Amino acid sequence: MLDGIFTGLTTAVMPFNLMMVVVGCFAGTFIGMLPGLGPISAVALMIPITYGLDPSSGIILMAGVYYGAVFGGSTSSILINAPGCASTVVTTFDGYPLAQQRQAGKALALAAYSSFTGGTIGAIILLFAAPALASVSLSFQSADYFALMVLGLTAVAAFAGKGQVIKALLMTVFGLMIATVGTDVMSGAPRFTFGTVDLIDGVSFLLLAMATFALAEVVMTVLKGEHRHEDQQADMSELGSMKLSKEEVKDVAPVIGRSSVFGFLVGVLPGAGATIASFLAYGMERNLASAKEKLKFGKGSLRGLAAPESANNAASTGSFVPLLTLGIPGSGTTAIMLGALIAYGIQPGPRLFVDNPDVFWSVIISMYFGNLVLLILNLPLIPYISRLLVIPSQILIPMILFFSVTGVYLVSFNTFDITMMVLITVVAIFLKLLQFPMAPMLLGYILGGLLENNLSRALMLSDGSFSFLWERPLTLTIMVIAVLMLVVPQLLELRKSLKEKSAGKGTPGMESAATEGEG
Amino acid sequence: MTLTKDHIGGLVFLLLSVAYGYYGQQIPLLPGDEWEPFHARTLPDALAALGVVLSLVMLVTAERKPEGKLVLAGYDFGLVAKLLGAVLVFALALEWLGFLLATIVFLVSGFWLLGERRIKTLFLGSVPFAFFIWFSLSQLLDIYLAPGKLFASVMGG
Repeated sequence: MLDGIFTGLTTAVMPFNLMMVVVGCFAGTFIGMLPGLGPISAVALMIPITYGLDPSSGIILMAGVYYGAVFGGSTSSILINAPGCASTVVTTFDGYPLAQQRQAGKALALAAYSSFTGGTIGAIILLFAAPALASVSLSFQSADYFALMVLGLTAVAAFAGKGQVIKALLMTVFGLMIATVGTDVMSGAPRFTFGTVDLIDGVSFLLLAMATFALAEVVMTVLKGEHRHEDQQADMSELGSMKLSKEEVKDVAPVIGRSSVFGFLVGVLPGAGATIASFLAYGMERNLASAKEKLKFGKGSLRGLAAPESANNAASTGSFVPLLTLGIPGSGTTAIMLGALIAYGIQPGPRLFVDNPDVFWSVIISMYFGNLVLLILNLPLIPYISRLLVIPSQILIPMILFFSVTGVYLVSFNTFDITMMVLITVVAIFLKLLQFPMAPMLLGYILGGLLENNLSRALMLSDGSFSFLWERPLTLTIMVIAVLMLVVPQLLELRKSLKEKSAGKGTPGMESAATEGEG
Repeated sequence: MTLTKDHIGGLVFLLLSVAYGYYGQQIPLLPGDEWEPFHARTLPDALAALGVVLSLVMLVTAERKPEGKLVLAGYDFGLVAKLLGAVLVFALALEWLGFLLATIVFLVSGFWLLGERRIKTLFLGSVPFAFFIWFSLSQLLDIYLAPGKLFASVMGG
């Protein structure tokens, strides 16, 4: 393991890779700050750039953009009450009231310290957890992989939130359907190409990710007329002091510690991600607080700000565990990174640890650097970076459109791809209006090819019998977990609604807020 | 009878799954494939079936609450259509006018559609930006950007 850490360290401290961390954190902070654009869109916008880099630098850049975007999201949550993504919604609960009390500087500093601690604690646990899990998973066979992918796909649906499970499952199936378009790898037969040459290679991952996350998100803000809100501009002259007093530090330190570990654990669960982690951590801290402290929650409590901030960063780090060790993304953002790794010809999963130790370790090591960069460079620069929020949206929106379209065009040099992007965007907007979540579709699409390969191998080995699903204890266990994940929440929900019916009253749940756009 | 978002979604996915299943039957198989446990049609068939079952479940379980209805008022569809139209024109212009001019045309029309009317901003926001991107791509990164067909045909390639 020390060997690996050393390899990772040498890769990560190469000047070019260090620069990638810095550039990534800055770009991520800026994109994450723009209302409506979250980590998924930020990472999607980076894909075309990473195609020209070698795998480690590409993934380091994406990881930097990822934490940068989570951090940027909290900045806009605090300053203008406009969360850049779902995982920083909770930050607005106490962050914006603090900004209104002219304590924006303190709130930003606390958010940065919490994010830093959350990210660092997450990275330390990752350092030990990932190799351990990876060495266990080396004994996996294709049947186990198939089961793992089913688990990953059902988990995303299971965590989709109240009333969204079937929609998420349908979107997963839709993603799997899109993955079947193109030439069949095994027989070479064209599938769903309708005779056009442009579809022989299938729908490109980059195109799908850009159309559903970058383009569709921007177009949605135009559709809702959100780009006309001029009052969102923050007054940067009133940030206030960035210092925290000793008592305040003492007060929030245990909160940050608890929420970090908790957030990491939630992040590791496939499909849960930063959004759910931040909501749960906030709820946990409110329950733990004294009656007097409880009243402050929602009105500018420092604890209420520290908890979700440390949890969402720790969860972002945690979601790398299933990605790096099992090849199963824990969130929409890591799903995009998985797609990028596959495009590099790298197969994420247990073999990554053995075959590409430089990628595996340099990502983990670069997380420390990423967190440091955010704390040392980004925090003092926040007043300046946030000036960019002042660029009027009528200028900004066409530029984001331009970047997402040319990002796809410059890889294929085929204008058919742009037409296809517009088409997919229209479909995505229609589905968004019907409240279908997009992340499961992308996950289904990315895992589709792997799922088919492993299923075919497992079926061939067992001579066409589905007995491979229960013959190995490991496969059986994973399948049982997958089924339980899907069925148990539904049963609990059913029981609750039956109880409520008999009691004749309804209680609002918090889980419905964490539906889509997970970090 | 109230037709909610969930009903519309369920119906759309039902149609999609049926169409997907229908076209899945037209995937050519290799001779002897029908005896194999897994071939090019296996997964599409399974997905079509799964899609039909899930969309039926969605249709059956959807609640008929009035607040679940699809409300389209308040959305600016016209503007979005124009913006996406501009993207399509950009695709055409890339082929005919080349990267630089197409970018300027796209940005100016985008700014204009979103309400920017000051001529100075329209051009100061687009021309230097387009030149900068074009310069970094073609000169710094050495990416070949094909000249527009229009110029190629006028100047004789």
